[in-house]
Amino acid sequence: MSTQPHPTETIDTLLEHYLALLDEYTALRAALNTLQAAMYQSLARANFSAERGVRHYGRDYYDARMQALRRVRSGGGGGGGGAPVVVFTVGGPSPGGKEAATAATDEAEPMAEKEAASVGGDGDDDEKQKEERSEEESGTDNDNDNAEKKPQPVDPLRWFGILTPPALRQVQGQAIKAVEDIIPRLATLSAEMAGVELEVRRARKRRAKAERAEEKRIVELEDKMGEVNVSV
Amino acid sequence: MASQADFRDRQFLAVIGDEDSITGLLLAGIGHVTAPPDNQKNFLVVDAKTDTAAIEAAFEKFTTERKDIGIVLINQHIADRIRHRVDTYTQAFPTVLEIPSKDHPYDPEKDSVLRRVRRLFGE
Repeated sequence: MSTQPHPTETIDTLLEHYLALLDEYTALRAALNTLQAAMYQSLARANFSAERGVRHYGRDYYDARMQALRRVRSGGGGGGGGAPVVVFTVGGPSPGGKEAATAATDEAEPMAEKEAASVGGDGDDDEKQKEERSEEESGTDNDNDNAEKKPQPVDPLRWFGILTPPALRQVQGQAIKAVEDIIPRLATLSAEMAGVELEVRRARKRRAKAERAEEKRIVELEDKMGEVNVSV
Repeated sequence: MASQADFRDRQFLAVIGDEDSITGLLLAGIGHVTAPPDNQKNFLVVDAKTDTAAIEAAFEKFTTERKDIGIVLINQHIADRIRHRVDTYTQAFPTVLEIPSKDHPYDPEKDSVLRRVRRLFGE
């Protein structure tokens, strides 16, 4: 006996899952609308309270060498409908990233200097150690020089000056929330829904094929019954 | 289904939108300009003077040419100007999302995802 569920049951299960995804998508859309409306309002307030000389917080202040602080990370995840889907997430620089490493080196250097100062010159070994350290430090400096050639990401708020109005900080907070929490989830849902749509269409085709095969079988059976009746 | 390599390098968000939308999103730190001599931006500021051809070219660049874009955000009223391109876009990567703008609130009737939903239910 076949253990496969009836095609209609499969479609119903898929559609149930699809509707759950649609519900989440609609709720997130509403949340994004609210958040973006608040963001535009904050930006209007920031423009209203702008300092003298600032015409409008906009494209005139964009940094031409800007580097992304928040990046998309995509990875495979298990779709509820059975098909693997891509899960999008957006986040700032990872703790083990290059930026973090550079910052850590910058912090570590004064510590090394302090240690060297506290040890003091007590003998030849210490002098050797010092030399080694100075070589290491010069190596680190070279690395830093190379790193400096590449523009480092800076807080975009700095493009607009040092004394930015609090409303502009609010805009940034709201935009970060939209970019980190809502947009990646919406993108994931869109991809997952597309996957379920594909599965529903395939299941519908399978059901139509099964129905056609069933009809054909019934017609054949009726023909056979007719032949038996004639011979009797 | 897309392979792992298809989405591994797609690390940027791209935006096609009006100045306020772009300013807000750039404040979140998604803006990126590639190294010279290319200096390719991952955003396009659209105003009343911007040609539809320029919007279409930017959409084409973000969705087809560049392999480092994971999500494309586009203001819905701008997507309306290239609606045929947005609605016929079916690739898995990058994902295209329509977002509201200051002067044009989000309209579910025009959303490409919800259009797909209606098609699935036979409307």
